[in-house]
Amino acid sequence: MSNAAIRTERLTKDYGSGRGVFDLDLEVRAGEIVGFLGPNGAGKSTTMRMLIGLAAPTSGSASLLGLDVGREGLTIRRRVGYLAGDFGLYPQLTGSAVLAYLARLHGNVSHARLVELAERFDAELDRPVRELSSGNRQKLGLVQAFMHDPELLVLDEPIAGLDPLVQRSFHDLLADVRAQGRTVLLSSHTLSEVDRVADRVAILRAGRLVVVDTLAHLKALAVRRLEIEFSAPPDPAEFRALDGVREADAHGTHLRIAFEGSADAIVKAAARHEVMGVRSVEDDLEDIFLRYYRDEDA
Amino acid sequence: MSRAIFLVELRLRWRNAALAALGLALVALLVGALYPSLGNAVGKIDVPSGIGNFIGGGDFATIAGWLRAEIMAIYGPLVVAGIAITSAAATTAGEEESRIFALVLAHPVSRTKLLLAKAAAVALLVALLTVVLFGGLLASVAIAGGGISAGDLAAVSVHLFFFGLVFGALALALGAGTGRRSLAGGGAAAVALAMFVVNGVAPLLGSISWIDYLTAFHYYEGADPITRGVHLAGIAVLAALTAGLVAAGAIAFERRDLRG
Repeated sequence: MSNAAIRTERLTKDYGSGRGVFDLDLEVRAGEIVGFLGPNGAGKSTTMRMLIGLAAPTSGSASLLGLDVGREGLTIRRRVGYLAGDFGLYPQLTGSAVLAYLARLHGNVSHARLVELAERFDAELDRPVRELSSGNRQKLGLVQAFMHDPELLVLDEPIAGLDPLVQRSFHDLLADVRAQGRTVLLSSHTLSEVDRVADRVAILRAGRLVVVDTLAHLKALAVRRLEIEFSAPPDPAEFRALDGVREADAHGTHLRIAFEGSADAIVKAAARHEVMGVRSVEDDLEDIFLRYYRDEDA
Repeated sequence: MSRAIFLVELRLRWRNAALAALGLALVALLVGALYPSLGNAVGKIDVPSGIGNFIGGGDFATIAGWLRAEIMAIYGPLVVAGIAITSAAATTAGEEESRIFALVLAHPVSRTKLLLAKAAAVALLVALLTVVLFGGLLASVAIAGGGISAGDLAAVSVHLFFFGLVFGALALALGAGTGRRSLAGGGAAAVALAMFVVNGVAPLLGSISWIDYLTAFHYYEGADPITRGVHLAGIAVLAALTAGLVAAGAIAFERRDLRG
């Protein structure tokens, strides 16, 4: 029995002219929450649509919970919750009628569970869908993805359009899901959305996987900055010569250094002078990801 | 077939069909009421057969000819096929264009099951139309002073039901196969119009008049069910055509990437 909740092997969807997803090898282990990141059009939704069976791969394979997406789609959809990035609801029906309908397709969703989730997201159940704002429709989308307590959740842009309060409810629900050992793949084009919840992130760019790693590790690899205040103007050349230092600039007694890896050599070099103060500045998270989005363009 | 899907389809679409059915029945009543004064007065008009074919014969002197010309030749098929086509296009391509399939088909229901439930719902709407029309025709003939048996009125209604199924199935197959509502609705309507024209002109075409056999109109009214009762062979052709189109739609639907 495989420990992977999601496994893709050379998964490809080729729409022509370089559009699509290419040779994707992704593994999401059971029990982890993985953020699926990338700019618009990178192929996140296409990948998710292949996983859930709405689109067929051009080549390669994918399995969810050990089941092949091509052959065992029905069983997979019984055990997986999916939220599409772009979905519609019957405009004439009320929220509760739509949810009751989808629940009947499963056959084993309790009304109490539906009501509990709807309350958690503060979803409007009694008004026709056509009268709902996009945020309120998104809440119904979330309820239907969670209602059957699936072992695996595949969520495409789950918090798009939600107000901060509901975003918090969503994050709380994800915490519950994690505590129960269930698995989540959720996509976003901004890192801050997944920063709080994801164990690992997978970054997709132009249809190809650029990196899969823990956030902590990616942050460690990122360029960091130190700002050091000396009693007398320092010589930046002394610091530029050190290993790992990318740049060093002095403004009066103030030195700014950008570096990768360990700060040890810099601190030791600074200690040879009189240091008035030190401040560490981390790269903005989004900057880290923008670099991955852009890096290989050059 | 999924009962949940079937019931939701009916809930979403019964109103249009009910209104159309009411309209059909009222027109039938009106036509019956006008027969004693108008139909008899006009009598049998002598029209070129090419035109007569389009208007149901042109024999207004009998109640059967009168109903044929006023309702069963154009108005009835137009309304029944119209509702069948618009419902079938809306329930397939319409829902896909609205990204509803991206929601529904993420749940454990197979595409074929979904499509069959939708086909069954469209069939029930067509049945509703033709049953109400049958009631209207019964009342119409009674008001007009009799002249057609209930059995023959049922027969022409049954033929119209199967005729409507063909166009519903065509729109369903086009909608499921392409995901484009305009193509599903427009394509099926264009085929219906082409068949209507071919059916009208076929008798004038001499050696190729057999092309009438390619039209659903031939199997609907070619055997004149309003005076001769049910023509089983004709109904069998319409039913087989319907089944074939639904099956083709299901196969195409299973193989296609869906939007959303």
